[in-house]
Amino acid sequence: MTKEQLLQTFQNKFPEKVEEFPMVGVDVAFKVEMDLILKVCRFAKETPELSFDLLACMTCIDRVERLEVVYNLFSFKHKHKIAIKTSLTRDGELDSATPIWKAANWHEREIAELFGMTFKNHPDPRPILLPEDWEGGFPMRKDWEGKDFVRLPKK
Amino acid sequence: MSDYPKNNFDSPLLTTEQVGSEEFIVNMGPQHPSTHGVCRLLLKMDGEVIVDLVPIVGYLHRSLEKIAENRTYLQFIPYTDRIDYVTAMICNHGFCMAVEKLAGIQVPERAEYIRVIMDELNRIASHLVWLGTFALDLGAITPFLYCFREREKILDLLEMTCGQRMTFNYMRVGGVSKDLPEEFILRAKEFVEYFKPRVDEYEYILTQNPIFLGRTKGVGILPQNTAIDYSVTGPNLRASGFKWDLRKEEPYSIYDRFEFDIPTGTNSDTWDRYMVRIQEMRQANRIVEQAINSIPSGEIKAKTLAVFKPPAGEVYVRVESTRGEMGFYIVSDGNTIPYRVKLRTASFSNLAVLPEMVRGWKIADLVAIFASLDVIMPDVDR
Repeated sequence: MTKEQLLQTFQNKFPEKVEEFPMVGVDVAFKVEMDLILKVCRFAKETPELSFDLLACMTCIDRVERLEVVYNLFSFKHKHKIAIKTSLTRDGELDSATPIWKAANWHEREIAELFGMTFKNHPDPRPILLPEDWEGGFPMRKDWEGKDFVRLPKK
Repeated sequence: MSDYPKNNFDSPLLTTEQVGSEEFIVNMGPQHPSTHGVCRLLLKMDGEVIVDLVPIVGYLHRSLEKIAENRTYLQFIPYTDRIDYVTAMICNHGFCMAVEKLAGIQVPERAEYIRVIMDELNRIASHLVWLGTFALDLGAITPFLYCFREREKILDLLEMTCGQRMTFNYMRVGGVSKDLPEEFILRAKEFVEYFKPRVDEYEYILTQNPIFLGRTKGVGILPQNTAIDYSVTGPNLRASGFKWDLRKEEPYSIYDRFEFDIPTGTNSDTWDRYMVRIQEMRQANRIVEQAINSIPSGEIKAKTLAVFKPPAGEVYVRVESTRGEMGFYIVSDGNTIPYRVKLRTASFSNLAVLPEMVRGWKIADLVAIFASLDVIMPDVDR
């Protein structure tokens, strides 16, 4: 499937909800609304001509006024690479993708801990990387300040 | 003392029915010799059998991703060494490649060759560390000594090139920091010839050793679909019978110019994971041999500006690290420092699958299974 066909497949299934954006290193990258994300992910995995069976990477970007969650998917069968992005408010809730890919479990725990958002229906919503007695807030947010952390002055 | 019961060996005093049985929790780690770093495993045990396991990670969390948002692109390269210090060259390579893709920089051919040589030498060194400690965990001390003997020679080669033995800081955006020393090619050729029979030597000690077979054959099965569901990649996925190697299927750098095979397993057990890595050492050695025989002369670094600013944009680049897919997700806002760097490390996903593999096995098997996954803790915690 070509890049255009890939994008077209998603656009046909979710008309007027899929918005492409540029990303280097993947075939297609697009944005969807946050309440659609679980449906889009399930569609990406379970449609035979897509079959994105590997959640290669999952991450979050803090844009200060909102958070962006990015899913990097890969299909072993067709060798397609896509990125799906959705955005939500900083204290927002997003559906957990763990029922679709079990790999999402730890990635979501990491994102929830470091960025301070919540994943709905997550099977194991414990913190993962920070110390047990951590009370310093959400360190990956852009406006986070810690006592040992001094930001470089803007040039 | 008269009412003290006499031991009666014909009918033991205590049976399981009389005592009753219950599950109990055992804590393993964080400081445990077989966890290869600081990883804590909470085990729910029924007698000696593992019912469930919870890995507790984060003891080596150094917040490299936060540091990245506060350093320039070039300043972050030495930090990538610390993501996975056993394969620092490949971490260097991945990060530089991601930035190059973002900025559209073409790397000179000689630099690509040097990178591949370094990557593959480092891959052998990493597999040697793994093999030595894996055998050590199973009680075999000799392979450890053999492996570190060969690793020493690789580290000498790497030290000769960049002055460092573990955290290299060798690659740069657009190439490598300095050219190979004059005697490198000769010494590398010597090493390639020296190393070929050494792999047979390890195999001679381990592969058909009855104790080793008893500890590994059929132990810790990782079915293919479970592996993919948990995003397990690299040798662990190949040992589950899935032929997948980014160097072959999605050739980056100049890997498409070399001949090498992708070893796979058939039984998805601990022994297969051992065998895949043994064969990978041979293949890596093959790549090094081909690369040093065909390395061209020329530039080693593309010209980049002293104040390096890639254009605004996003990039996701992945390379085949020793432990699997290593991804770099970089968001640039056109400034000298990256807006966000996400490090997708192979060990993070490879460790998450551990509970699925150990249920029903004993603690001694857990040590073998955990070691066979080749998880390295700084790679998990970042």
